[in-house]
Amino acid sequence: MFPLGLLGSGEKGEVVDKVPGGSHALRPCHRDSAGTGCRKGSTVRIEDMGIRPGKTIEMLSNEGGGALLVKIDEARIAMGRTMAMKIMVRRKDG
Amino acid sequence: MTAPTAARSFPVVETAVLRVAVAGNPNSGKSTLINSLAGTRLHVGNWPGVTVEKKEAALEHRGQRIALIDLPGTYSLSPYTEEEIIARDFLVHDRPDIIVDVVDATNLERNLYLTLQLLELGIPVIVALNIYDEAEKKGYKIDVKAMEAALGVTVVPTVATRKTGMNDLLEAVTGAIAKGSRSLPRSQSYGEDIEAAVKMLTAGIVDRHPALVERYPRRWLALKLMEGDRRVLAEANISGVDSLMKDAVGHLREAHGEDLESLMADARYSLAAGLTREVLQRPSVRKTEMTEKIDRVVLNRFLGIPIFFAAMWFVFKMTFDLSAPFADWLDGAINGPLTRWIEASTNLLHGPDWLVSLMTKGVIAGVGSVLVFVPVIFAMMFFITFLEGSGYMARAAFVMDRAMHSMGLHGKSFIPMILGFGCNVPAQSGTVLWSLYVMGIVLAVLMGILFKRTLFRGESPMFIMELPPYRMPSGRSLAIHTWEKGKHFLIKAGTYILAVSVLVWFLLNLPWGVENKKDSYLGKVGSAIAPVFAPLGFGNWEASSSLIAGVIAKEIVVGTMGEIYVRETEKKPEGPAPTFFEDLREIGTSFASAGREAFTNVISTVGITSLKAEEKEEEATLRSVVAKSFTPLSAYAFMAFVLLYMPCVVAAAAFKHEFGTWKWFGVAFVYQTILAWSVAFIVYQGGKLFGIGG
Repeated sequence: MFPLGLLGSGEKGEVVDKVPGGSHALRPCHRDSAGTGCRKGSTVRIEDMGIRPGKTIEMLSNEGGGALLVKIDEARIAMGRTMAMKIMVRRKDG
Repeated sequence: MTAPTAARSFPVVETAVLRVAVAGNPNSGKSTLINSLAGTRLHVGNWPGVTVEKKEAALEHRGQRIALIDLPGTYSLSPYTEEEIIARDFLVHDRPDIIVDVVDATNLERNLYLTLQLLELGIPVIVALNIYDEAEKKGYKIDVKAMEAALGVTVVPTVATRKTGMNDLLEAVTGAIAKGSRSLPRSQSYGEDIEAAVKMLTAGIVDRHPALVERYPRRWLALKLMEGDRRVLAEANISGVDSLMKDAVGHLREAHGEDLESLMADARYSLAAGLTREVLQRPSVRKTEMTEKIDRVVLNRFLGIPIFFAAMWFVFKMTFDLSAPFADWLDGAINGPLTRWIEASTNLLHGPDWLVSLMTKGVIAGVGSVLVFVPVIFAMMFFITFLEGSGYMARAAFVMDRAMHSMGLHGKSFIPMILGFGCNVPAQSGTVLWSLYVMGIVLAVLMGILFKRTLFRGESPMFIMELPPYRMPSGRSLAIHTWEKGKHFLIKAGTYILAVSVLVWFLLNLPWGVENKKDSYLGKVGSAIAPVFAPLGFGNWEASSSLIAGVIAKEIVVGTMGEIYVRETEKKPEGPAPTFFEDLREIGTSFASAGREAFTNVISTVGITSLKAEEKEEEATLRSVVAKSFTPLSAYAFMAFVLLYMPCVVAAAAFKHEFGTWKWFGVAFVYQTILAWSVAFIVYQGGKLFGIGG
């Protein structure tokens, strides 16, 4: 079990658990599809975006620094590294 | 009013307007769907008090009047984002007659999570199973009948981009109303434990808080109380440790811990996952999609940034090529015929000389020289909208964010700068504009590195953002959003640019009867501070006066220059003035030739020849006069200064919003002015050193 941020490009993992402290601990600020804004009080629960325990998550792009891109079901989700270091995954083969 | 005639044989029945709320996930095609349904009747505004866009439309189907209200795209109805709060407050308190839930057929599970929450509200729901074509292309088989049975609602497959299924959707909407209460969705079961608690809570609410029953849908209220939804608890004035709450959810808390919100989320998600398994068949082999292929290149670590700058270069180049002929045409029409007409009609009404001067040399010269940029602004907004709609802009934000982080910066503050260019004066050619744009970003990065150690320490924010799949934006939504963005420019021109133009005219003509503009109030102030700009290559009073006026909005720099230089440019027409109709014909034919020119420009941009093709000499009046006062180098330094020297009013408002106080705006003002001066200095002096355009 290790943080999502350590999953390499092309690798897959299974979301194991939320960060200790429950759903309130993971409340990243949400940007809209145009990429603008990170307005005050604009937080979203990552569960609502489909990142939930048991889900398979595929790392599409992880360059070792900065934001990374994952795929969950049919959604491509970009997130900051701080965020990705708080989501625990178990490596999955294939 | 009474009916005009009594001859009508039957009374006109005033049918009530059916209020239809359109809800759905971001990127579910909700916006396109509403555009397709509404056509030209779309009204775009804002939700009160916030910057979230609100679209509405009034339409009619089979005699039934329908008011469509577009809710902000959300993943859930939890109370955490502005969008979520708007959507749920509307659904709960304004109680629409029916909800159209736009579901992305390619991503059923996550979309059904929201659907389930909509079903809790006790309002009839119709599911628009959108992007159905892409789901089919992926080889997905969705059992629509099974979905209808499981959810207890009508499900209509739609392809909003091609307007497929729109009529079926409207039929379902009117049909649901005809069915009355029978169209209410089936209540979904979240498991015995939860349902028992819901039952107990509902009974308790009816018993002890009867007033709440009037205000909220019962089941929804019970679920929210159970989740410990702070907003509802506060509104309903019920505490989480209320005896009713204790009785009803005590055993749930014992079994699952205090975080019942997560429990509910789990319950809904497993239901959504179960439903998806039931109705959806995925092909066993998944083929690589186009979006993935494009992303591999566009998001590549080394290619990402060059591609981004190339894309922006293309945008600026196309913008210029497309709009320049029309800008020239507009310039000609405003300075020629329009000025003559206004002059003639003011004279006809025996207006005093000063009024004629105010109209032609103040209003027309000021507002007119800004209006010349309308084609540029609209063309630019068109391409930006295209990039946004295609899904590229979100990638650009991602790529820039990554690049910033690799330099140890967080990209948050730069994103608006990358996207928001509407604030700045559109310069003369696409390439110049692009180089200024790139320079702006490079400077932002440099300053970010500098400030990282001083002003903006602290951890980088956590952010999350969905990248939509690449899609060809529909012409209709391109048109609507381009217009919405460009509209603000027109409003600006009509309001405070107009006001400032009048003010500038007075400042240029006072004290009354001043002979030389240099001796006017504005001229004197301009002359006084002009030496400050001398090392930058534009130490003349004209430039510095324009910069002062431009503090209000950067467009005003152009407007003021238009007014200052108007006297020198004005030439008395030789011979008899052309008649009104000659003028009209001339405007028409020159518009047609502008169109032809724009077309050939665009063709040559795409062709290889364009790489060498230089922009031809401009003959627009203002530009040619300005060219006399500026060398190419000092003009570039001037533009760099204008780009950087002052956040415009819009930026100031954004600043206030972001940081909460005006203090930071003050800091930014001083910092930007110093920065602008330094950059213009380096550009001008550096350029002279290398002997460029001196």
